[in-house]
Amino acid sequence: MSVPGAVAGYFDLDHYRAMQAVVRGWLELVRIEPSRTPSAEDHEAVCRLLFVEARLLDQRRLDEWLGLFTADAAYWLPSDVSGADPTVTVSWEFNDRRRMEERVDRLRTGMAHSQIPPTRTVHTYSNIESIQVAPDVIHVLCNFQIQTASNAGVSVRAGWNGFILRRENGRWMIVLKRINLFDADRPQGNNSFTL
Amino acid sequence: MSVSPLTYSYAAPEGRYAAYFKPGFVHRDLYVSETIFREELKTLFASTWVYVAHESEIPLPGDFVTRVIGRRPVIVVRDEAGGINVLLNRCTHRGATICREERGNATLFTCPYHAWSFTRRGACAAVPVRTGYGESVNLAAFNLGKAAAVDSYRGFIFATLTPRQPLIEHLAGAATMLDQWLDRNAGIKLQVRNGAMAFKLRTNWKCVYDNAADGYHVPFSHASMIRVIERRYGKGIDINYDGGVADASPLFVKNLGNGHTILDQRPEMHASSAWKRQHVLPGREILWSQLNDQLGEDSALALLNGSTGAGMNINIFPNLLIIGNQIQVIEPQSVNESVIRWYSTSLENVPPEINAIRMRMQEDFPSFGEVDDAANFEACQLGLEEIPEMEWVNVSRHMDTNQSQLDRDGYWREPISTDLHARAYWSAWRALMESAGAEDPGR
Repeated sequence: MSVPGAVAGYFDLDHYRAMQAVVRGWLELVRIEPSRTPSAEDHEAVCRLLFVEARLLDQRRLDEWLGLFTADAAYWLPSDVSGADPTVTVSWEFNDRRRMEERVDRLRTGMAHSQIPPTRTVHTYSNIESIQVAPDVIHVLCNFQIQTASNAGVSVRAGWNGFILRRENGRWMIVLKRINLFDADRPQGNNSFTL
Repeated sequence: MSVSPLTYSYAAPEGRYAAYFKPGFVHRDLYVSETIFREELKTLFASTWVYVAHESEIPLPGDFVTRVIGRRPVIVVRDEAGGINVLLNRCTHRGATICREERGNATLFTCPYHAWSFTRRGACAAVPVRTGYGESVNLAAFNLGKAAAVDSYRGFIFATLTPRQPLIEHLAGAATMLDQWLDRNAGIKLQVRNGAMAFKLRTNWKCVYDNAADGYHVPFSHASMIRVIERRYGKGIDINYDGGVADASPLFVKNLGNGHTILDQRPEMHASSAWKRQHVLPGREILWSQLNDQLGEDSALALLNGSTGAGMNINIFPNLLIIGNQIQVIEPQSVNESVIRWYSTSLENVPPEINAIRMRMQEDFPSFGEVDDAANFEACQLGLEEIPEMEWVNVSRHMDTNQSQLDRDGYWREPISTDLHARAYWSAWRALMESAGAEDPGR
């Protein structure tokens, strides 16, 4: 019997397989062939989206940040660095749209002790590479550094992001943000802010 | 067997650590003193059984993982006969750690410095140009140090540097609780090779341990999680219990002996369907639908109920904490730094949808709940460290309220909000430290 709210192709095994195939492609990427290089116009458009995304996080405007994501989006923070299969490997977070919204709600309750006071961040994205996957789908890889300040002091997070972006009604949106901490498998401090 | 109501043995007037305890209170130095921390590493972690790994992590001959006993690096390796060896990861030559990988498969462990090599049982196999140690050198003199005893209980491997009692005696009432945790789906075996989250906390390891069967903090420390879930899905979901910390709650804490305890949430978590009660997770509806199609609704629900969070917080002193479906291990780093690793678990021979559900479920509490606990553990450390004028920590809850009872299984039980857990492990802590001859810390 189908359970109310079931959405085929979203966080079922097919979806996991598809995301794994994308991640494997990113991990094995050597160079982006000219045939897969987006137009300068599209590249610039997706870069603008990433910079807005980073700025909204630093401003902690999380409703507007959520507004950059599609209805079938995912926020993925693996706990390994090898691209392990997420159906048998735990991540730090692997959130669907619903859990992304709940997470933002939690931070706003005034009782999220891990974020009182909130971690201040400066997100810097660099080494941006874009890959045309379909006319309305572009993948973006970029390195990130997140400078943070909290009661624990100043510290940095680093790694690379993989984005799946899709053009919906002429507007580029985020389908997947996979945050690959370069030390995801090593002990982590307070990452309860939004990376 | 029976564990009598706690005698609060730490309040006894004799003993080298007597000055750090009074009925219902423990002294701040136990959390902030470098001397005591070093004594714990040297004495406490060397004088009792310590959890090191799960057998499913090293299924084949030569499989190994590197772990710690306190801070001592050890290699947990399966030998060709299937036996498990816990080797001190220190070359008998100059002291270098030999194996520097987290896991792998090895025939020999060869020290990178001068290439001394050792078997899976720790025997010295070769040293280059051995005649430099004399013609009659006996390599057995160079064997690695090993744990004095290694034993496993239903897959959980423990090692001790000082054999004082058999593992089963040490586990006491915790063994039955592990059975119940493992036997939720009859005949389905547990696997512990599904990754882990390692949290780094600026706190003494006992601030983590203090919380392990603390049913009092839940509505407060986890207020953000509970509020979000209640707003979206109504009351009675996940750890939003009807009774809260009211003493009428059917939840309870039990002293299992030797410092081990359980906080038992099953009277509410598993009162009807734990799966239906569980906080929603990514893919919940579609994967449940697909399991219904594959197995039929009743079988699907039974399997889901049995692989949902156990509602059993089983705490095995000093370093193993079972929570939900995870195996949490405490690794002290320094007097005010700790690493806790949450090893994820899966089930053998179940539809892959079940394990996908388990993975997402095991991300739920860490990101919605554990982070707030961590903030509170760190705040405790700060207050304890920086205000020496305030000396005592209160662990007196339900000590004198006459709401405790000897349960039918012979173990002492108290209401959900008790500090019984803290009193129980502190008794074990003190007994180990004093009987094993930890030095007088000088208070």
